[in-house]
Parts: sequence; structure tokens; C-alpha cells
Amino acid sequence: MFPAILDLTSTQLAAAEPDEYIRALMRWHFGEETGSPFWLRRARALDFDPISDVRTYADLSLFPNVVDEFREVAVEDLIPRGLRGEDRAVAGVFESGGTTGPPKRFVMFERWAEFALGWDEFHYSGLGTANLLAVAPSGPHMFGDFAQRRARRQGGLKFTVDLDPRWIKQLIGRGAMDEVERYTEHLVDQAAHIMTTQSVGILVTTPPLLERIARREELVERIRKDVRFICWSGAHMDADSRDIFRREIFPGIPLKGLYGSTTVLGMSRERPWQDADGLDGTNGPDGTVVRDGAVVPDGTVVRDGAAELDSPAVFDPPSPYITFQVVDPETRAEVAVGERGQVVMNHLTKYALIPNNLERDLARRVAPLPGALGSAVSDVAPVSTFGSRTVIEGVY
Amino acid sequence: MGAVPAGQPVYIDALGPTGTEPFRSRERRPLTTLAGEPVGEISQVPALYVRRAISAMRAAPTTPAAQRFAALEKAADLFEGAAVAGLHPDDYAHLVSRASGVPLGVVRASIAWVADVLRTQRRTVELAMPRGVVADWRDPATTAGAAVWTRRGEVFAVHAAGNTPAVHGLWPEALALGYKVALRPSTREPFTAFRLVSALRDAGIPPATLTLLPTDHTVADVIIAEADQAIVYGGQDVVAKYEANPRVLTQGPGRSKILVTADVDWREKIDIIAGSVSHLGGTACTCATAVLVEGDPEPLARALADRLSLIPSLPPEHPDATLTVQPTDVSAGIDRYLHTVAGDARALLGGATIVDELPSGGSVLRPAVHLVASSTAPQLGVELPFPCVWVGPWHEWDGIAPLRDSLVLTAMTTREKLIEALLNEPSITNLYLGDNPTTWLRPGIPHDGYLGEFLMRTKAMIRSVPAVGSP
Repeated sequence: MFPAILDLTSTQLAAAEPDEYIRALMRWHFGEETGSPFWLRRARALDFDPISDVRTYADLSLFPNVVDEFREVAVEDLIPRGLRGEDRAVAGVFESGGTTGPPKRFVMFERWAEFALGWDEFHYSGLGTANLLAVAPSGPHMFGDFAQRRARRQGGLKFTVDLDPRWIKQLIGRGAMDEVERYTEHLVDQAAHIMTTQSVGILVTTPPLLERIARREELVERIRKDVRFICWSGAHMDADSRDIFRREIFPGIPLKGLYGSTTVLGMSRERPWQDADGLDGTNGPDGTVVRDGAVVPDGTVVRDGAAELDSPAVFDPPSPYITFQVVDPETRAEVAVGERGQVVMNHLTKYALIPNNLERDLARRVAPLPGALGSAVSDVAPVSTFGSRTVIEGVY
Repeated sequence: MGAVPAGQPVYIDALGPTGTEPFRSRERRPLTTLAGEPVGEISQVPALYVRRAISAMRAAPTTPAAQRFAALEKAADLFEGAAVAGLHPDDYAHLVSRASGVPLGVVRASIAWVADVLRTQRRTVELAMPRGVVADWRDPATTAGAAVWTRRGEVFAVHAAGNTPAVHGLWPEALALGYKVALRPSTREPFTAFRLVSALRDAGIPPATLTLLPTDHTVADVIIAEADQAIVYGGQDVVAKYEANPRVLTQGPGRSKILVTADVDWREKIDIIAGSVSHLGGTACTCATAVLVEGDPEPLARALADRLSLIPSLPPEHPDATLTVQPTDVSAGIDRYLHTVAGDARALLGGATIVDELPSGGSVLRPAVHLVASSTAPQLGVELPFPCVWVGPWHEWDGIAPLRDSLVLTAMTTREKLIEALLNEPSITNLYLGDNPTTWLRPGIPHDGYLGEFLMRTKAMIRSVPAVGSP
């Protein structure tokens, strides 16, 4: 009835027996006693029987992408009936950005939120107590909640700046770039006041805002002096900008991305850099391989060696709970490792089932960590559509 | 672009303000010949790089005028005749021709033009400056009160086109005036921009005052937003996008025209008319798009078609080539567009097709001559990137309305009243009379006004202390 393999404390079991995990998950979401009203209703319109036909991870491809239905469905109907007690504690209702129409709504549960946040915990090891400044969307957006939880874990205080990304999108949509400029400068002004009067050890923001912050020399100096960790999410960071941030603007300060989506209720983390032997770490001053963050004999903390600086950001989702695939945008067939394609995300926990969610992102497919389902990704960028070029009058 | 032995890939990387190694971004696009053979790669820098570059440029000191002029003159020789960034001038000219389809002869003429422009900046700036104004505040005139010629801004952005190297003949004036210049090269032909920036730097222009920022269309807008003023080359779409922006000077369709009135015998002028249409393969905004004739335009149109039909179709690297070559799909697209816009116009040349496929790859864009029935025919304003001309009738009672919106108007007429009216018409940028083709240009004579008119202003100064130092 309540199979242990679905518990978040059974990650190793689930990872060792992925097909068993998928089968238990299907029995959970499509069992009358445990499934959500949404999925029990939706199952009647499927042309297959999830419990008998979905036996492996690969069989999940049978599911249609249903996320558009999450724009209208009553969120109560998304709660699996089988969730009880602590498992049923709701952290909030979160919404997708609303880029492609009305927002989609999702129920976030406490236990899952804590697990999902813990996925990149190791990046913060050794950081100690630190105050956190989040210049990121809050309100219905998952990003702000993650920042709140991160601050709590670091034992520090959290400073925030309000941000309404949907309003910015509306401004951009009607070409009001002057207003975009004023609004974003207003955000940076607020962040600047916090950074110059308070102690901030962790900065959490989006790549466009980090770029704006970096335009102010006094803030760059402040960050170099005080900030020990920069976490970005919520938008894309191209490899060249990442290079410039890491090499020129914030050298020595870990800059780590979380790539995910409210639609799958979680994030993937940046893979620690590995040397040719597959060892985590970087090259120490004496040529030996030391772990990133280790303290070497002269007392300095080793971070980001040259080889690591050259390596792209690779993102690993918390398999088997969130998995990625990279597919050909036309055929939807999975592309080969090393090739680029469109990202498909799955959320596969007892808290929610969101299969085959096609994101508006392109990425390079990277081999997953040993034992992980699906793929890791790198070089994530928005899907851009190129219209066929028509003749435009003039000679240039 | 380090040393480039023949056959080695060419890298067009950003030339940033620090003047160290070129910045090779991870995001790059392939550079190819017309036949699609790979030539190398061009970096595509992100907005973050652009903003940091321009902010470093702002922080840099302005180069003294004497040093600027000396560097411009020296750069002329390097650009024209020296190995720059490891590329021999001849290899560079062939590279441009192979990649852009511009005939080698046109490339060489354009290179010589740009070098002339660089050499004559001292004179050009003098010509552009209002009389009675001094260029340096230390001039004794300011002790009695005078106007000083000063910059309206500091950083000038250039979105270059790739038509021919001659496109780079305008912006050096900004450098001469003491502006810092951020140049975004054409993605199709970035070789000239790279070579010119490299030559100017080799000649003594400090890197922090002249940068090359290859990037995509989105980030190109960031360059304009971050600069004080900009010049942008493009089609009607680009003109429409920026025409309301007083900081942006657009170089769009020229819609240059020729008027022949009845008091002039056009038979003596047919070479000048044909040359105006086909100069630089028809790829310049100064090339004649329309010819208006008082009386029956058909004989002139027929003679013009005969003359233009004699131009041979040759590969761009052939010494006698004068017509531009484009990939066949591009040429075919232009041909389809021509058929759509031609409508009721009568084709006297190029009516079947303008596409002439070459065995060596790509297609020549052959000339087209069409006859329209009225001086108000909309086709008269259709400018396409090859020798494409619309010939129509003009009557005295039409007045100057059909001649408006011309970058260059060559008026073959002796009627002084008409000449006065044309000179007073604000939408005619340049007026040439008599036996001068629309494509006539000289260093020092403005092309679209002096850049100085756009970039400079006068500022009053009166002072009582003697100046330290001298101009």
C-alpha cells in the first residue's frame, strides 16, 4: 500500500531498482486509494494502462505531456490521496513563469522541498554561517522559497528584494525597454543598499540581475570582499558569460547554477568538476589533486583550478525523482550524447507525477552520473525560432 | 586571427579594450565561402563582454589629435599594403572576394578607397568643421571668446555591413574626431573590419579606444544602447527600427536616382548612367535605382539594357568580374522578389531571370532594366542589391516629388530653377549635376553629411588665463 521504495529516505533502493521504482510509482499514482483526483480522472483518457503497461523508465514515454492542463485544474486535485501525516504537509502552491500563456500551478510538499533543496547541499559544505541575499522572484515562484530554505540551512539571516518577473515580461512584450531599465535598476538599487550596509555571504539571483549588479564597480568590490558563494537560477547563463564572471569579475568565488523548473518542482545541480581520472577536485599547488574547497598546508582554500575554469557547467537532476532527456525538437527522438536537443523533464515522486514535460530549452546531452536515469545536460539555452529570411529592400 | 598561412582556418575574435590576446568566445559561427567551404569561425561575444568592453573604453583617456591623425595615416599604408594580423593584403582581398562574392576588382578598389579615407582625415575634419570655430580650446581665439568644436558623446558604435570593404569608409571620421569606436563586423564579411581595426591599432590607436565586437543581432542592440551614438547599416527594416532614435544614424536604402531633362541628349550620357547602375556590382547605396526621363523613356531604357547586357558573368576572383556573386538560393530569392515587385513594369532586361549559375559555385546577379509607365510608379523606390534599375517618364509638371528620398540625385539638366528646387529639397541628400555618376565619391566630400555634423557641436568658450601647452 505504502511501498518504502517511494520514500525519500530510500533513494539508494530506488536508484538500485529503477524499474521497480517506476512500477511502484505507477501503482501509487493510478491506485484508487493513493492517486490524485487529477491522475485518476486523466487515466481514463489514456490509451494505455499505466499500471500494467509502464514497467520501465523507458515506458514513461507512453505518457502524453499534460502540463498544459495544470493551468486550469484545481490544485487540490493534484494532491495524491495516499499522502498522509508529515508527507501531506504542503509547502506552498507554486506557479510556472507564465511565459507561454497563463501560469501552471503545482503543489509543493514540505518533505520534497527539503529533499530537493538538499540536492546541491555539498556546494555549501565548509561555508559556515552566512547571511543570504536573494534578488529573485518570490511570491508564487519556487525560486524565492528555495532561497528562504537555503538561508535557514546556513544559519544566517535572509535579505530579499521583491521582483515581479511577469511584469518585466509584459514590459518587454510591449517593447517598453525604458521601463524595463528603470525597474531593474530599481531592483539593483535595493540590492545595493543591502550589500553596502549588511553582511552578505551568499548571493542568490538570476543571471540577468547578476550581470546588472556586476555593472556597478562598487558592488563588484563589495561582493569580492564579502560574498563567499553565488547561486544563480531562473534564467540561462551562456558559457561565455559564465567564463567572464568566474575569471574576471568574481574570481575565486564559487558561482553555481541551479537549472530546473517549477513545472518539475525542483532543480538540477552543477556537477562538481572531475579530472581525467574521474576524481572530484582540482589541482593543488603541489600538483596533487585536492578536493574543491579543501584547505591546503599554506592555509588557503583551494577553489576552481584552471582546468575546472575551462569545464562547462553540467547539470545533474536528482534521479530518479527528477530526470532529463534531450530530444530532437522535430522527431522527439533522444539525441546522442554530445548532441544538442530540446530538454524534456520528468518529475517522478509520490508527491507528484509530471512526465514528458517539454521545456523551452535547448541543451547538450551529457552522460548521467553512474546509476542515474536519463541524461545530464550542459550548455542550456532558450529555444529560439528562426523565421525563414525574406528579402528586405536595400543594399545592406 | 593570428598568422594565417594559406588554408589555415581564420578566426575572427573580439578585439577587446585591453589589447591583449583576441577574445575567442565559446559561442562561434562558421565563416564560409560562397560555395559553402569553411573558412574559419567568428566569435559571438555575450552582452556581458560588450558592456565591460564599452565601460573600459569610457574609462580610457582620449588620444591626442596629433597622435590620432598620425595613426590614421600610418594605418592607411598598413591596411593597403602590409601583412596585418598575419594576413598578406593579397590573401585578404581574395578572402573577401571568396566569402562575399564581391568581384576582386571591386574589393581592391574598395580597399584603396578606405585607405584614401584614412589618409585624408586631417583634411576631412577641417572641411567638416564650421568656419570660425576652433578645434582646440588652447587656440588663442578663445581668449577673446570663440566656439570650440566638441564631441557630443564619447563612444561611437558601428554596425558594419559586408557589401564591400568600402562600407568602412565612413566611420574612421569618428576616430579622427576623437571618438572611441566599438565596431560590430558583418558576420558574412568580417575580414575587413578585423583587418582595419588591427591596422589602426598597429599604427598607434590605443586598443581601449577602438574595439571589434563580433556578436549576434540581440547583443548588437546592446552595443547601440551602451554607446552614445551609432551608425547602422541595413535595409528598410533597420531604418524603421532606428529612425526615431536621434542617437542613431541609419544607412539604409539610398534610392539614388538620375533625372534627364529634354534639354540634354541622353545618348551622350549612357555610359555614365550605366556606370551609376552597375558600379560596385550595384551593391552600393549610391547606385542608381531609378532613371527618370523627360519625354519618351523607352529609347534610353533600351540603350541602358543593351549596355548592361554586355557585362559578362564571371567568378568573383576573375580580374574582369564586375558583378556580384551570391549563393544560388539567395540569388533565387532576390529573383522571386524582383518578379513580385515588378508587377506591371515592362522588363527590358532580366525579365526571365537574373540568376546566372556559375560552374565554380554560386550565381551571378545579372542586371535588370524595367520600364514603368508613370513617375509615381512605386517600383521607382525599390532598391535591390544588384544592378536593378527602373526607368520611367518625368514631366515638368511632376515637379520634384518623384525625385525625393534620394541619397544621390544626378540631375542631367541645364534648368537653374529646377536645380535650385532640388538643392532646397531636404530629402535629397546629395545633388550631382551633368556628367557625374551617382556613385561619384571623393575623400573629404560628404556622403551623408559629414559625420562631424552628427557627432560634434560647438561650445562657447571665453578665457582669461593663458593656456598651458599648445594644440
